[in-house]
Amino acid sequence: MVVEMDKAQRIANKQKQISISEFFEKNKHFLGFDTHQRAIITAVKEAVDNSLDACEEARILPEIHVYIKRIEGGKLELITQDNGPGIPRDSIANVFGKFLLGSRFHAIRQTRGQQGIGITGVVMYSQLTTGSSTTVLSKIEAESTAVKVDLALDTKNNRALKSNEERIPIEEWFEESGMQTLHGLRIKTVMSAKYQRGRQSVHQYLRMTSIVNPHATIRLKVIGKEGETVDEGEWVRSTSKLPRPVVEIKPHPHGMQFGTLQRMLKNTKERTVKSFLRKEFEKVSPLVAKKILEHAELDEKRRPAGLPVESIQSLLAAFMEVKIQSPPVDCLSPIEDLLIKKGLEKAIDSRYAATVTRNPSVSQGNPFQVEVGLVFGGDLPSDGTVELLRFANRVPLMYQQGGCLLTKGVESIDWRRYGLEQPGGKGVPKGPAAILVHLASTNVQFTSEAKEAVSDNEEVFDELRRALFEVGRGLQSHRKRIGQREKSREKFDLINKILPEIASKSSSMLGREPPDLSPIITKIMNAVFCEEEVIWEARDKLAKCSIKIYNYTARARAYTIIAKWPESDSTSIVQNERGGRKEARGLWAWRLDAIDPGSMTSIDFAVSGLNKGDWKEAEVFYRGNGEVIGSEKIDETLLEEARKQERLQEVVDEFIVPDVSTSFHQKDGVPLDSNVVSSEIWEAGDKLF
Amino acid sequence: MKEKTRSKEDTIEALHAVAAEMHDRMMRGEPPRMTLPVRSKKNINFDERLNVYKYGKKKTIRDATSLGSAHQLLRALFVTEFMEEMIEGQKSSTLREMYYISEGWGYGKFGSQNESNNLAEDLEIVTGCLREDFKLRPEEDGARIIGNLTFEERNRRGEWMRINCRDDVGDSGYGVPYNVESEKLRLLGHDIDFMMAIETGGMFDRLVENGFDESARCGLIHLKGQPARSTRRIMKRINEEWGLPIVVFTDCDPWSFRIFASIAYGAIKTAHISEYLATPSAIYLGIDSDDIKAYDLPADELTSRDIEALKAEKSDPRFQNQEWTDQIDLMLELGEKAEQQSLAKYGLDFVTDTYLPEKLRQKLGIHIG
Repeated sequence: MVVEMDKAQRIANKQKQISISEFFEKNKHFLGFDTHQRAIITAVKEAVDNSLDACEEARILPEIHVYIKRIEGGKLELITQDNGPGIPRDSIANVFGKFLLGSRFHAIRQTRGQQGIGITGVVMYSQLTTGSSTTVLSKIEAESTAVKVDLALDTKNNRALKSNEERIPIEEWFEESGMQTLHGLRIKTVMSAKYQRGRQSVHQYLRMTSIVNPHATIRLKVIGKEGETVDEGEWVRSTSKLPRPVVEIKPHPHGMQFGTLQRMLKNTKERTVKSFLRKEFEKVSPLVAKKILEHAELDEKRRPAGLPVESIQSLLAAFMEVKIQSPPVDCLSPIEDLLIKKGLEKAIDSRYAATVTRNPSVSQGNPFQVEVGLVFGGDLPSDGTVELLRFANRVPLMYQQGGCLLTKGVESIDWRRYGLEQPGGKGVPKGPAAILVHLASTNVQFTSEAKEAVSDNEEVFDELRRALFEVGRGLQSHRKRIGQREKSREKFDLINKILPEIASKSSSMLGREPPDLSPIITKIMNAVFCEEEVIWEARDKLAKCSIKIYNYTARARAYTIIAKWPESDSTSIVQNERGGRKEARGLWAWRLDAIDPGSMTSIDFAVSGLNKGDWKEAEVFYRGNGEVIGSEKIDETLLEEARKQERLQEVVDEFIVPDVSTSFHQKDGVPLDSNVVSSEIWEAGDKLF
Repeated sequence: MKEKTRSKEDTIEALHAVAAEMHDRMMRGEPPRMTLPVRSKKNINFDERLNVYKYGKKKTIRDATSLGSAHQLLRALFVTEFMEEMIEGQKSSTLREMYYISEGWGYGKFGSQNESNNLAEDLEIVTGCLREDFKLRPEEDGARIIGNLTFEERNRRGEWMRINCRDDVGDSGYGVPYNVESEKLRLLGHDIDFMMAIETGGMFDRLVENGFDESARCGLIHLKGQPARSTRRIMKRINEEWGLPIVVFTDCDPWSFRIFASIAYGAIKTAHISEYLATPSAIYLGIDSDDIKAYDLPADELTSRDIEALKAEKSDPRFQNQEWTDQIDLMLELGEKAEQQSLAKYGLDFVTDTYLPEKLRQKLGIHIG
């Protein structure tokens, strides 16, 4: 958007009479205000994105309320309320009255705001369609009262006009905001718009937003003309862990385009091209800068501003020829897989959730990272196509699904082998599932200015497919476990409930002695079974796991049983009377005595340091002869491989000094990145089997 | 079926033999089981002596190694217990009642009424008894008869009542009871030349209204779709005891062919008692596939289910003769089916004035009027 406004500015400078409102009018299709249905979604989106960004920067757990009321004349009244830091009185006019112009021009980082015209667009649309001003109520912590002001836009001069400014006592602020918060922002506006329910609605936008922002609580209420409730929603935060703060980075030479480079050369304060290269780009050392200039056959003392077009082109070509380190990737803010799981669970009731956060990589000088989540079963409808939830930098993409790279990635996978229906092995699959795809990048490339569909990029596509394969495999093994569990449960019903009744009924009917069932049971089952169950004990905050091994064969059996558990710095195994030993990270083993024919042995233990829903099923492996139904034989070579990697990691860990960013998390009372560590190990464990 | 019905003691003994097979196996340390003939078209053979289709030698073993079969065995024991109670208490129940009673049977509960009906039939087959012996009766019998036939039926008070199916009944005719054996129903006399079985109620009412029973000197019996056991049994008795021909008048579709097969050759589900239910001399009157063209009848396209049914009939042993093969092939070729009531295209009297007289002349050599 920034670029377009820059263009607008240039146009405005040339022809003074063209106003910014005309620009808005002409371009409202890609500003998101082209239809009445879409206008309200865009307005909510701008307000909510601002709130989330502000809370993130101020390290506040966001609480956002959205009220929409239908009023006469095809208009809607929109109120958004947050508990963000608020805006100081003197900045209000700037934030609401100016289009985002150049402020983030050179900074490259992943922000939501990258994708919108900003809240000013909402003020403008309201004014253009209804002639009303927008009321802003802001409370900052440093002041004891809130400030209330009506805003209108002076479209000729691109600035806001304030009116009816007043101070509001704290009690009134509490009452009006509906929150007991000492800081926050309330926006009230009226616009020509239409509220509609469905796949493209405010409700869906907020639901999707809540999925990728599990740390936010979001509420929606839509009221009709008669005061009736038209729609409502509530998504309560499922984690108090704030997203990692994003770091700004400079552009990387590999991502450069002619226009951008030309502008940078023109605007730079550096006096020589060499210092320009060194100071304004990532990963350009003096040596690299020298090499680039050699390739471009440019004198390093040349002034950047005066470079002719041919020189800029040879500079661009040199960027691609010289080997340059990849840009840093800590500027990205992935949601991280455990949090995606929480977000999905907050919005969708399902039986199973798998998530994958791939490691960051780089495409054309831009760091990017792909994350995928998949939920399955539960209340999800099994007849329709799978719901596809697309996100770019935590912002929901709701339009142009078909033309989006993220959709194409999902469509390119043969989901049939993972147990979803998919006619012809292509297209969006069918079944009781939802798939989330998130692309985090400093520079998300869209197919058009509407910014609703990600454009083709081979590297992103490949990463996406890898992530999807991974969640697919998870789903497959989950379904296999469910299938096995069902089968063994049937068999248990058969021998524990039905067979004894057949025996007692037939003997009493015939007046004969009852038969001994144990040889019959052995004949019917003729196998060793493993049953596993994880239950959440709220009182002690423990996830309790119980593993039972039944020997229904004719001879005694001995096994070592290995359970996969969510090991991390904050979790530990407790109430484990059988002891056992650590097999590898996340794997605990118990050596069992021989189990006699017809008898059962159980292993009980609990894991502390988890939250409800973190751990729902334990994968169980065995070592020993003969199959154990309901568990898998452990792969010893892969296990050895994992141990090696672990030892390596331990050595690495010893040399790592905690950096500054971790102190941020500690301040918030959250153990430093523990979830991240565990999820990576978790992932490593997944690759094992 | 008088000849076949068993005494109380015999029935209980036969039922106990089923439980004993299970118990004996368990005493030997083996999973309990039940042995049954395969009840599908693959296991019905023509019985030369009885002139009907009966179950062949293929057996299926239902043993308690899978949950489904174990359920069946337990249900069989519950049903046996229930039947013993009824026999001892001189009570009877409908199949539907038994289905509801099974609600209290825990793991022996039936999942659907179809399951309980099937199990009652299974027990008939393994014990050689009839469901009447078990004191089970069907929900409703269905059939109605109109015509100059006279029956004697024993009513609830045990008195014999004389009923003429033309003079003593209303427009809906004589309702056939579920038990039509001689202890309940006697065939007294008649003044007709043949019996006509009609598939649909609409056509039955049309023939009654047009007085076809009198003009054609016949008895009319409404089949109500796939005919119940008692309907088939009473036709069989009329055919055997009075020597009257049975003609069957149905829609022209694959399902009507099956209705006729169950009347003439025996039904797959009740092949164990085909000799009591089937009338081998029954004649299919129409509507034939070639009638659609010959009479230019309004027709519907065959659905995919219809086509599947026709293809299944081609491998059904009961349809393995030239006549039926031709009928089925013709229907597949035309891709069309027609209802009995499509004859109304030519007016309400066409069926009684033209169609039926022509078909009767053509197929039976009977001349009317």
